[in-house]
Amino acid sequence: MADAGAPSKYDAGFAREVYGLENGSHVKKCMQCGMCAVSCATFQCMDHSPRRLFALIRAGRKEEVLRSNTPWMCTSCLMCKARCPRGIPIIDVMHDLKGLALREGKVPYPQAAIYGAYWKELAGRGKVFTAGMLRNYALKRGLGNLGKMMHLRDFGLRMFRHGRVPLMPPKAPKGKKQLMQMVKRAQELERKEAK
Amino acid sequence: MAKKIAAYICTGCGIGEALDTAALVNVVTKEAKVPSCKESPFLCGRQGAAMIKNDVAAGELEAVVIGACSPRVNYDVFDFGPSTIVERVNLREQVVWTHPAGDEDTQALAEDYMRMGIARVRQTELPVPYQAENMVKSLSVVGGALARLTAAHEAALAGYQVVLVEKEPVLGGFAAAMYKSAPSRPPYTELEDTPVASLIEAVQTNDLIEVLTGTTVGRIEGGPCLYEATLLSDGRETTRRVGAIVLATGARPYDAGRLAHLGYGRCANVVTGNDVEEMALKGGIKRPADGKAVQNAVFVLCAGSRDPQHLPYCSSTCCVDSLKQALYLKEANPEANIYVIFKDVRTPGRYEEFYKKVQDAGVVFIKGEVKEVSEDASKNLTVEFSDLLMGQDASVEEVDLVVLATGMVPSTVDWAPQDGADAGESAPAVQLPLLNLAYRQGPELPALKYGFPDSHFICFPYETRRTGIYAAGCVRAPMDPVAAVEDGTGAALKAIQCVELTSRGAAVHPRTGDLSYPEFAMQRCTQCKRCTEECPFGAINEDEKANPLLNPTRCRRCGTCMGACPERIISFKNYSVPMIGNMIKAIEVPEEEEEKPRIVVFACENDAYPALDMAGLNRLGYNPWVRVIPVRCLGSINLVWVADSLSKGIDGILLLGCKHGDDYQCHFIKGSELAQTRLSKVSETLDRLQLESERVRMVQVSIMDYDKIPVILDEFAAKLTEIGPNPYKGF
Repeated sequence: MADAGAPSKYDAGFAREVYGLENGSHVKKCMQCGMCAVSCATFQCMDHSPRRLFALIRAGRKEEVLRSNTPWMCTSCLMCKARCPRGIPIIDVMHDLKGLALREGKVPYPQAAIYGAYWKELAGRGKVFTAGMLRNYALKRGLGNLGKMMHLRDFGLRMFRHGRVPLMPPKAPKGKKQLMQMVKRAQELERKEAK
Repeated sequence: MAKKIAAYICTGCGIGEALDTAALVNVVTKEAKVPSCKESPFLCGRQGAAMIKNDVAAGELEAVVIGACSPRVNYDVFDFGPSTIVERVNLREQVVWTHPAGDEDTQALAEDYMRMGIARVRQTELPVPYQAENMVKSLSVVGGALARLTAAHEAALAGYQVVLVEKEPVLGGFAAAMYKSAPSRPPYTELEDTPVASLIEAVQTNDLIEVLTGTTVGRIEGGPCLYEATLLSDGRETTRRVGAIVLATGARPYDAGRLAHLGYGRCANVVTGNDVEEMALKGGIKRPADGKAVQNAVFVLCAGSRDPQHLPYCSSTCCVDSLKQALYLKEANPEANIYVIFKDVRTPGRYEEFYKKVQDAGVVFIKGEVKEVSEDASKNLTVEFSDLLMGQDASVEEVDLVVLATGMVPSTVDWAPQDGADAGESAPAVQLPLLNLAYRQGPELPALKYGFPDSHFICFPYETRRTGIYAAGCVRAPMDPVAAVEDGTGAALKAIQCVELTSRGAAVHPRTGDLSYPEFAMQRCTQCKRCTEECPFGAINEDEKANPLLNPTRCRRCGTCMGACPERIISFKNYSVPMIGNMIKAIEVPEEEEEKPRIVVFACENDAYPALDMAGLNRLGYNPWVRVIPVRCLGSINLVWVADSLSKGIDGILLLGCKHGDDYQCHFIKGSELAQTRLSKVSETLDRLQLESERVRMVQVSIMDYDKIPVILDEFAAKLTEIGPNPYKGF
């Protein structure tokens, strides 16, 4: 958790930017009760609680928000969304914030690499090939991360024995073209919603 | 003069099984010499009631004593017309339901209650309703805005003449100075036009309402139905006779001049919420310094409210008003940046929807405390504050407008707490002349706290400590327009009840319909002024020789004067010092050797007596040594009854009454407090007479404390056993 630092200046510019995201305008509704923070399963790992993150957005502290690990620690368990007295779909807001942070290129987190690796697989094959995803991830994280990955080799071997990590890529799905059209349409809709 | 009395005993509801009713009849007829005493297995049934009715008709009975259930039930069945006195002896709730059946002590209790009931009825006379000449039913409504207009309008709709007295040259007050009103209708999100304009028109076109603008009240004399109001306008005096008065003079905003720490008066672009309303009415909210448009604005909530240095209380509407004003700005310029710095956002009830709407409009809410407001050369403001939820200091710069949400001060007082003094503790300063009552206890309504006229906010909100004068709207408590409308209606209905009851000689709440009123045997009066001083409602005036002069229409019939009078010259037709004295004397006190002490319980009829009944309903057993005597209010307990009881050989006296103090529950406001004060005086006397002062005790109970009743009584009985028997026993 960040401690009290230097006095901050309130600025509405960043908040406007967030309100422009697909689910960003829900941030306006937050009344800072803190129910999300106490409901969050991974709150202990976050540098700002969801409540605090929303307060930072409204204070206009863009850097802190985009560099925060909070959206990346969110497991999308839905507890906060279920409990929010104002009915804010907090996980959807978190997804939007992740997207914004990626676009702004401010994410040092491994989760971001996983997202990228996953998306690359899906967009390329129309299906997820686990070994391919691992390769993408390793490439994204670079050599320094290989040591960490070696720690998981026993786990990986067991997965392999159970047939969870096939060596050969799967067959391309039928109608991959249509799938991609659907994704494109969804992306269009997202931009439209955000208006 | 002996009355024609008949007694009836019901044997239903378990009374017949638990008691030896033949012996009870014997006590009534042989010992108390009542000529007739009949039993019935179902007295409240058609046959039982018809039996009594026939006897009343045939025997010209003046009074009946009914030994059955509590007087709190079946009162309609046992009503035999205005010329028959009915005394109910509570054999069910307070005898057989709370004590073991067939027990010797239970029987003794029932017999004592019958004796006491008969003693009481022998002293009771039929009350004659008070009537004066030229009693009127018209109402006067003084001051205020929305509540006052509503009160006048509603009363006129009900067919009553109304005189509307307004100090200002035009009607409307604060509500008329508002641009829009916060939402009061579904979906509770849209701003509405204020209801004032249409209400003013309705009031002005109603023939029953006489509107006097630019008028103040010079003096009010008399009492309900007989008020003689002197009205002053343009130096001319006129008088009006009115029946009841609704005080709805509203509130003033707190003096923002005292809020220099928030920049008011120091910085040109710092304004109050009322200034914003005014600007909005005049065509748009602009920077006062240079008339430029507002791009950034900060609202400071609780400005001078909930602050020990200023108003210690919450004015309940400033939050919603600020939200509304924030929305004015947002609607005029959706790109405006608006910040609201709050302690708590208090948007009760449906206003939550409105709060959401304002949030959706993009207004930023910050929980914080403002530290500094400063302006630069071009009159732009910087607001520095501690951001409580972020745990750090923060600021907003380049602010065009800072709006202070100031609280309300009731129009009854001029609130000017000293700098540094804790306003919550010290009474708010000067009472302002509003009503100029010609009352011995002072010209204005007594206040409990912060200058708001004293009224019990849950049980009887519009009642004040002056009968026939009802407070409504923001003068009673800070409230929003919706509540003010409700308040005005409520107070108008109270005023109508008051004139209707008073014109029939009956009392108003809480002894609604009581026809008795205190009478003074003036030849024995010593002009001690206790009655005029202690009457909680200021009903008794004084002449120049300090003789008490009762205004019966102001009286609530609590009997506090009767309890106060050392000469015992004050009595009601159906409630008097000798009456209760005789009830005490009717109690049979066993010899000391029998080791059966007796305790007299004076129970307040409003809460303690129902609590005793509730204990019965729940079959909670309690000590059989007690003899309960209901009293109108503990304030009516005359100390001679304590002396009577002790000289009779009664071992202990217990007073059960309502809570007193700041959050009192006493239905007569001061009664139980006075009883406590008087008791503390009597304990000295008891000590002097070698009688332990612990023999007399007062306990505060509410109606919900019925489960504690057995404990209270048993504890007191145990204490008395410890002290030992009353040495005066057998004298």
